[in-house]
Amino acid sequence: MSVESVDPEILGPAPGPVYDSAAERRLARRERLRLLVRRPGFIVGFLILLFWLVCAIGGDKITPSDPINDFSVSSQSPSAEHLFGTDQLGRDVLSRVMAGARDVLIAAPIAAGVSVALGSLIGIVMGYYRGLIDEVISRFIEAMLSIPVVLIALLIISVLGASRTIVIGTVAVLFTPIVARTVRAATLAEGQLDYVTAARLRGESGLFVMTREILPNISGTILVEFTVRVGYAVFTISTLSFLGAGIQPPSPDWGLTISDTYRLIQAGQWWPTLFPALAIASLVIATNLVADSIDSVRGA
Amino acid sequence: MDWKRLDRARRSVGPHELELVESFAQGRISRRDFLRRGTVIGLSAPLMAAVLAACSNEESQAPGPSGSGTGQQGGTIKIATQTPAATLDPIAMQDLGAYGLLAQSFEFLATLGDNGEIAPGLAESWTSNDTRDVWTFQLRQGVKWHDGTDFTSEDVAATMDRLVEAGNSGLKGVIEKGSVDTSDPNVAVITLTGPNLNFPYLVSVFNAQTPITPVAYETGTTLDGSPNGTGPWKLTSYDAATKATFERNPDWWGGQTPLDGQEVQFFDDLGTMVTAMQGNSIDAIVQFQAIGGEGLLNNPDFVVLDIQAATHRQIWMRCDTGQFADKRVRQALALTFDRDAMVQTLFAGKAEVANDHIIPPFAPFFSDTVPQRTKDDEAARQLLADAGFPNGLKAVLHAAKLQEIPDLAQLIQAGAKAAGFDLELQIEGLDTFYGAQWCPAEPADPPCSGAAELGIVDYGHRPTPDVFLNSAFATNGVWNSSQYSSSEFDAAFKTFQESQDAEDQKTACGELERILNEDVPVGVPYFYHYLSGHSNGVQDIRVSALGQMFIEKASFV
Amino acid sequence: MTRYLARRVALSLVTLFLLATLVFVIVNVLPSDPGRRIAGPFAPQETVDALNERLGANDPLLQQYGRLLKNTVTFDFGDSFKYGKPVKSVLFPALARSAKLVFLALLLTVPISILAGIVAARRRNTLADRLIVTVGLASSSIPEFVSGVTLQFLLGVQLGWLPVLALAPSDAGIGTQFKHLLLPALALVAVYFGYIARITRAGAIQALDADYTRTAVMKGLDNRRVLTRHVMRNALQPTVAVVGTQIGYLFSGLIGLELIFAYPGLGSLIVGAAGDKDYPLLEAGVLLVGIIYMICTLLADLLIAWMNPRARLVGEFA
Repeated sequence: MSVESVDPEILGPAPGPVYDSAAERRLARRERLRLLVRRPGFIVGFLILLFWLVCAIGGDKITPSDPINDFSVSSQSPSAEHLFGTDQLGRDVLSRVMAGARDVLIAAPIAAGVSVALGSLIGIVMGYYRGLIDEVISRFIEAMLSIPVVLIALLIISVLGASRTIVIGTVAVLFTPIVARTVRAATLAEGQLDYVTAARLRGESGLFVMTREILPNISGTILVEFTVRVGYAVFTISTLSFLGAGIQPPSPDWGLTISDTYRLIQAGQWWPTLFPALAIASLVIATNLVADSIDSVRGA
Repeated sequence: MDWKRLDRARRSVGPHELELVESFAQGRISRRDFLRRGTVIGLSAPLMAAVLAACSNEESQAPGPSGSGTGQQGGTIKIATQTPAATLDPIAMQDLGAYGLLAQSFEFLATLGDNGEIAPGLAESWTSNDTRDVWTFQLRQGVKWHDGTDFTSEDVAATMDRLVEAGNSGLKGVIEKGSVDTSDPNVAVITLTGPNLNFPYLVSVFNAQTPITPVAYETGTTLDGSPNGTGPWKLTSYDAATKATFERNPDWWGGQTPLDGQEVQFFDDLGTMVTAMQGNSIDAIVQFQAIGGEGLLNNPDFVVLDIQAATHRQIWMRCDTGQFADKRVRQALALTFDRDAMVQTLFAGKAEVANDHIIPPFAPFFSDTVPQRTKDDEAARQLLADAGFPNGLKAVLHAAKLQEIPDLAQLIQAGAKAAGFDLELQIEGLDTFYGAQWCPAEPADPPCSGAAELGIVDYGHRPTPDVFLNSAFATNGVWNSSQYSSSEFDAAFKTFQESQDAEDQKTACGELERILNEDVPVGVPYFYHYLSGHSNGVQDIRVSALGQMFIEKASFV
Repeated sequence: MTRYLARRVALSLVTLFLLATLVFVIVNVLPSDPGRRIAGPFAPQETVDALNERLGANDPLLQQYGRLLKNTVTFDFGDSFKYGKPVKSVLFPALARSAKLVFLALLLTVPISILAGIVAARRRNTLADRLIVTVGLASSSIPEFVSGVTLQFLLGVQLGWLPVLALAPSDAGIGTQFKHLLLPALALVAVYFGYIARITRAGAIQALDADYTRTAVMKGLDNRRVLTRHVMRNALQPTVAVVGTQIGYLFSGLIGLELIFAYPGLGSLIVGAAGDKDYPLLEAGVLLVGIIYMICTLLADLLIAWMNPRARLVGEFA
């Protein structure tokens, strides 16, 4: 799947209720939180995320063996000793999947966070001012989206070199226009509502309206966008590793591991690839469960 | 032993040839080495057969291509090879994919023999003068180009001139422009800049850019642009992205090929070739790897062609500047390699442990005088401390995302930790790696100055070490990424080139091995086998370890 | 509709111009010495200089930029550095191969995903719904080169049901060609099924809950007619938009899949051209993919505009 993926729920943002005062808003927020923890989807997703968070914080202190320096017999299938088997160099796959959570949970959320921040900024400006600014930026975004994703990635990495920071930056750059497009749509919908018109009539500055009036009301969209992007970031980092432009070995990063071991499947060794792939799937499902729950509560 | 017969053979040869015959008669070299060395220095096939027969009391077959002749006539074989990296320019090509294609239509002065040595190709025989700096090649008569014109020594001269102009890695410094005398159209007399016992190898299949091309070819002419050749196969179509097809050359001097034609399919990935072989989509596979190729190695329907080759990796360390300039640091890193583990883990045992020099232990000229370096973290730590790094050092290890190299990099990194090396890996795509780390465009001469202080680079097979020594280690060599410059080495290399016979050469190699092992401009942990093969539905396929697959005798079973 | 179309096409042309400019920037950011690249590292500097002169690499940037814009209009980029023949003759066969794979992948994915999405929407919060959404999420979070190699191993090698290579023999008919393309196409189904199904599900839920649906049901129309006439028309708009934007990616982004099935499409060609610094091929390839992307999004927008006249007002940004 490409990084251009747009989540259905945010294509047409549900118009949120209009609040009169800050106090009411706080109250509504507490109510939504209460609704949230009642949803089983949210609980499951939250627990999965919590598990990976524990793995990320614990690192090699809680893994069965050293995920990087402990070489046993290579390519052993799963057994009681190595529950997930060993990889092509003889490292314990279970330990590497657990330790890999740290790389994934650092890189993916930062990349998603940066792109959502930048994209929201651009999107709100476009949606609020509309007119010429909107037209010009729209064309640029459209042009950027029509350049093959991998080419942008390879370009950045061939000029700047490959490192974790560069990878995070690259993913952020790739996602920013998509986020901007989504946030623009949400802002457009808000801009036509009465409270924005009222603020304008009061003579509030554009900056004030955008940050104090519009931003709080589209924060749900932005939050959902963030969780969706986290999932895609893991996927994209994996694709970058496949192209030799990603996070560097011997990191147990899931995407890197998959791209380094998928070739062994044809020799019948599925375990070094399958388990990190399942880990990615669990993370994506968990973030989506959380995102969906937040979204439905927001719309409720 | 048939002494009378042996004596007859002894009397018919010159002093240097006699040395070889004696070595074999006294059992100092093997039958295989005798054939190999004999072919190089130009002993005639009947003479070698006579010597072999005299020493073993049985008639021996002369070297040269031969098929079992039991297969069917006709059919088109499907072969998987690597996608050519650039145009099919015989002079400029650098990759196994192009090597393999060019070797179907074009032929070399010396071709591939049955035992992996060289055998007469476009040259029927060759001899040298006593000082080994003038080589005379008797060209095969009646050979025609695909376009119908005659093959002559003019073609040889034109090809050699183009190779010199292009700076061929094997011939650079060995011959100069205008070195081929063409006064007799059937004889090419080549004058070298100095003695070279291995010269026939440098104009054989093993120096893959040296197939003989017609006078009309220019620098930049490609096989697909102007299809031609003297060989058994005519190029009928070429699509750089997908495949090439060849049909039989009915006028080939070697006779009628059993197969009608061949379809060479291109792959960017060795793994896909293995899958295609397992899925019965192809008949033969030019190269595969032991790891990931288990499905072929253990398959009764698949014939593995397992060649002990000089294919290796060099872990280069800059000798001129940076943290590795002190040779003790380089020795220390080499001491951390767990070579046996690498051979097992990366190649499932299909490799030989190497000793930080490029003379493979199975080569006839290998000298076993240098003790094998084995893993010793304590000694490594001590050397590092002596060199002024008591607390270890940090460095970046550069490598390309190619075959087992990323895994090798991880093994080196983990193995070097205990001795105090804190290595950070930088694995990059091939273009970035070769462009920025190994072979930057500047400075142009030498073009490959090894921008990085530490890196891993891949080397293909060569049957003699000339190219490795000349390019990777000689001062200002074109692939000298460690910027190694040692007058001691250069002198020893000269001695090696000037050596007059197998014994001399072995002695010279011993010296080269000692110097390289001591100075460690590059760490060499292993030589791995070149694995190739075909389904058991075809037979009589030979391969060269340089991507060339010879199927002129091949047939469907 | 005509005015909308004209405006939409005009905007696409502006985008194309911007794209050409971006491409120019990209090519000039990459370290560039095409003469050295073609002649090889050992060629004398004079040869390299002469080549650069002939290729126009020494011209002022503005002149080079003008040339690129002209090439974009005529779509004539001269000879590829690497292949030594006209760019078009390299690009178009790859385009044809990519197009076949994309077509088959969409043919398999879109109907089944839409069906699953609507089923999930109509049986919201049942087991079927949860299964479709979760399986879809899981399969779409695994990169296509992993699902590709898995399918290749299981269906191609182990069971021997399908050819493992995507390229059919040159004389093969269309049926055989598609048979060869089935494995990579199935890998794409695995990736896209969940995505498109979820988009459709969301769109359908919104449409089912909408006022016009309730009105239609109250008017007494039977379920089937409500579904086809009212719900589908509105529910599928996001699906159309998303499929439209994804086609460009399918043409240019399947490097991994193309590699493991030995199927040289546009994606591998462009990445290879970038690696080889084959600028004419790179420029032409990127612009071609850009044009495909724009055509697809344009068609998607027109389809949406036809489905929902209101979208024509703000719809240039689907």
